[in-house]
Amino acid sequence: MNPRKPYVRPISKTSWFMTQGRYKVYMLHEISSLFVAIYTAILIIGLVRLGEGEAAWQGWLDAVTSPIGVIFHLIAFVFALIHTTSWFKAVPQAMRIQRGEEIVPGKLIVGAHYGVLAAVSLFVLILAGVA
Amino acid sequence: MARSAKAVPWFLFAAGGTVLSFILPVMIFTTGIAPALGLFTDALSYDTMSAFVGNWLVKLVLFGILTLACWHAAHRLRVCAHDFGIRADTAVAVILYGLATVGTATAALALVSI
Repeated sequence: MNPRKPYVRPISKTSWFMTQGRYKVYMLHEISSLFVAIYTAILIIGLVRLGEGEAAWQGWLDAVTSPIGVIFHLIAFVFALIHTTSWFKAVPQAMRIQRGEEIVPGKLIVGAHYGVLAAVSLFVLILAGVA
Repeated sequence: MARSAKAVPWFLFAAGGTVLSFILPVMIFTTGIAPALGLFTDALSYDTMSAFVGNWLVKLVLFGILTLACWHAAHRLRVCAHDFGIRADTAVAVILYGLATVGTATAALALVSI
């Protein structure tokens, strides 16, 4: 027995993040990894099906366009955007670029990331539209 | 200085997070939302996809994205498990990194067979 009886603030191990707004935001972008994982699994299965032939590939496409498939991808898309915005927000903290005496402002680095995001997205869309 | 194996999953997590933040939204749109909207039907047809993925450069890029996605998600889910009060970190790590290994191997085999 501890005679001091120290006060231990009761904190839930499973729902501590519900106590503050910024903890909720933190959990939101951590949970994005679950959707990354499921989407990656779907894509890998898609590649396996593609290798198995035309009927298998069509079956995969049918599953993707089924109501459950569409709902999942819409949610996953939102979480992908949460991942992207939160990742870009953290970049200036992780990456300090110095040019001469000056440190390049964080806004410029984040802006450049959004520029690359737009270019990459456009490239994939053109690839999908033209191919 | 003590050597730590932490650097390996952390590098994959960071590299994966960066690559995914650029490519993931448009990829989910192209393969997951566009087909339901009736877009890119030619691009997603069996013949076009087989030819597209048949290109070795495309295989390499896809393998890179999928590998980083697997390991990024595994590492982040490991942290998530801790955040949700699961303290059996070794078991969680074995399961999640195991799944990432299976995912990476399956992707490699599938890409080679196309």
